[in-house]
Amino acid sequence: MSSQTVTGQKVGKVEKDSFFLDIMKRILKNKLAVVGLVIIAIQVLLALFAPIITTYAPDTQNLGARELPIGSEGHWLGTDNHGRDMWSRIVYGARISILVGLGSVALGLVGGVVLGLLSGYYRRLDGIIMRLMDLLFAFPGILLAMLIIAILGTSLVNVVIAISIWSIPNCARIVRGSVLSAKKEEYILAQRSLGSNDRRIMFKHILPNITAPIIVFSTMRMATAILSTSALSYLGLGAQPPTPEWGAMIAAGQDYMWTAPHMTIVPGIAIMLVVFAFNVVGDGLRDALDPNMDLNN
Amino acid sequence: MRKLFLLILAIPMILLAACGGENEANPEQGNESSESGESGEQDLVYATTSDAPGLSPIDTNDSVSSHVIEQIYETLFQRNTETGEIEPRLAESYETPDDNTWVIHLKEDIEFQDGTPFNAEAVKYTFETFLDPDRGAPRASLLAPIDTIDVEDEYTVVLNTSEPYGAMLAALSHSNASIVSPEADQNGDINEEPVGTGPYQFVEWEKGDEIVLEKNADYWRGEPTLEQVTFRVVPSVSTAISMMETGEVHFIDGITSEHSSRIEGNESINLQTNDGTPVYAFGVNYEREPMSNPEFRKALAHAIDRDAYVDTLDGLGTRSDSIVGEQVFGYEEGSENIGYEYDPEKAREIIEENNFDEETIEMLVPNRDMYINMGEVVQAQFSEVGIDVEMEMMDWGTYLDVSAEDEFDVSFFGWSNVTGDGSELLYPVLHSDNIGSSNRARYANDEFDELVDASRQTTDQDERQELIAQANELAVEDAIWVPMHHGVIAAAVHESVDNLELDATGSWELYQVTRE
Repeated sequence: MSSQTVTGQKVGKVEKDSFFLDIMKRILKNKLAVVGLVIIAIQVLLALFAPIITTYAPDTQNLGARELPIGSEGHWLGTDNHGRDMWSRIVYGARISILVGLGSVALGLVGGVVLGLLSGYYRRLDGIIMRLMDLLFAFPGILLAMLIIAILGTSLVNVVIAISIWSIPNCARIVRGSVLSAKKEEYILAQRSLGSNDRRIMFKHILPNITAPIIVFSTMRMATAILSTSALSYLGLGAQPPTPEWGAMIAAGQDYMWTAPHMTIVPGIAIMLVVFAFNVVGDGLRDALDPNMDLNN
Repeated sequence: MRKLFLLILAIPMILLAACGGENEANPEQGNESSESGESGEQDLVYATTSDAPGLSPIDTNDSVSSHVIEQIYETLFQRNTETGEIEPRLAESYETPDDNTWVIHLKEDIEFQDGTPFNAEAVKYTFETFLDPDRGAPRASLLAPIDTIDVEDEYTVVLNTSEPYGAMLAALSHSNASIVSPEADQNGDINEEPVGTGPYQFVEWEKGDEIVLEKNADYWRGEPTLEQVTFRVVPSVSTAISMMETGEVHFIDGITSEHSSRIEGNESINLQTNDGTPVYAFGVNYEREPMSNPEFRKALAHAIDRDAYVDTLDGLGTRSDSIVGEQVFGYEEGSENIGYEYDPEKAREIIEENNFDEETIEMLVPNRDMYINMGEVVQAQFSEVGIDVEMEMMDWGTYLDVSAEDEFDVSFFGWSNVTGDGSELLYPVLHSDNIGSSNRARYANDEFDELVDASRQTTDQDERQELIAQANELAVEDAIWVPMHHGVIAAAVHESVDNLELDATGSWELYQVTRE
């Protein structure tokens, strides 16, 4: 209905449907972002249908069929040093990587958005919150995550917590900047003169208008979160065996590099593809959401 | 472009992962080819994954230190690598007039590397220092039965024990019982600057990097061929093997199965193996429910497929149900199948009958490749028979502390057994005296304790053999330790190295080694 009118007319009605359609159109023009979307879609499908598309459980061992190469009968991606099916482990690993990525980004967003809103909206809180964020910024990200895990103990859940804490300052800073410019807009002034309270203004009027940078940040952050989870698991701080986490699989495979290189290469490629996908989609989103960009260009 | 940058970052991370933290090669080791006839062709470089904690036999108790100590110092007696018999080294002969007296005649005209004469006084000084509670020697228990030490004449020393000590000769051939120069120990720190009677003498130690020894030209058995020996710290075995491929390293020991096929595929590197004394086992915490239930332990033993596990070691491990391995004194022929055979059906039956499947047990696993491998195999096999296992991994130091306390359900244990004597295995790891320290299984069985005590106290070797075998059988029957495999000593040796002999205990001497 309205979608057709929008595409046909230069000046469309400001409707939600047309807004998203507009963005989709822009993204679909970006070929790299489309590739990224396809990779993400595949990963989500693998994660959702893991039990259906795999023959073996990810931790079922067959000590008689160890280190089978890629293309072996019944194990098209081969097996690892315990005779576990690599395909099953990659597929279940996709599930872990999506869940950990979503979990840590969502947690980080909650903290970051609230702190960013408060800091941008209230001058009095700005100094304190931003100095606290600077404190977190002072640590290199992965080091901060390792520090948090050292305190909490090694487990996948703690990795999610660590990565979300590490996301908070970045997110808060982005949100704060957007709030600072949004609160000078006239519609906010209008709300204020109508007597809306601060909470209503922040969550009902400012937040919906600054979703674009948050969406871009979240998408990019997924890539960082997935990569960091794998890095931490590689170091033995994240997923514990026999969890089929990709980074942990690389760590387990490194001693077999000379005899069974697929044990490291396959999960390595998986991580690379997914991180690449989230980055290019984030990139595409940013371009698409940029209001200064000409649609026809 | 920032995402592209991130992506570019991701690729080296993955590559890095593959290389396992490559170490910068030492610049001074830049000689391209190992066969080049430059100076230093009688130099040997040994790679170790961690630096030695110390270089004094009195003040250390670990294999990394003892590898260095064994080149600098010597013991009164020495196990013959081939026959396993104990032979005199610094001693000339010995006699035991009664069960509590050991008269040891020493070799004459031997000097320490600092010129101090080797004599009965040096032996007395060393052992008294070793037993001095103020010194706190970590392996003092080795000589604990010694009560007093008398110097009869310049080259005769008498050890009086408080009770008969059956493993005395094995103890005296332990590297921690090496004789040190009294001069050097009184005037300096032999843990930093060691002085012994051995074929190589200390030159320098760069902490965390390398220890350099040179030949002792005045060595009493004749000058060694190697001019210089370097113990270099290379944290990753993969890196050390790469360094051996380029000729920078000539000898690496402690090779595990992950690396064996790579070594076998390289013509310039030989894989040297030798059946060894170490034993690695799955074990329970005997004090906790349900592990204190013999039926449950039996089910666990039935559930572990040791044959399939040992196959994964590619020959670098042998299978035997006996805790006392074939290379250890006290081993009895035919005891390799005395345990509970792999029978998952039976295990499942026992578990269902007793409702053992209701709880999850916690498995403590040291964060070392070999133990992680064992842990993953056993966890999967347990889940097949209905036992839920949660793995808890920790680094080696933490594991040693936690497993010494009552803080786990099941775990994996190992004992390398430097003395090669069965009493010196069963006493530390399963005797109730050692609960809270080396008896990590917290096993307490009076009958077992008595057998082990008797095997330690009698000096009749045939009787000892019998007692050790009985104690061993009892512990296997109780399924406290279920041996996963018995160690095979494996070393990667560069083709230019000759005459290297590995002892079953994992120790080796470089005295007779040459390079061509």
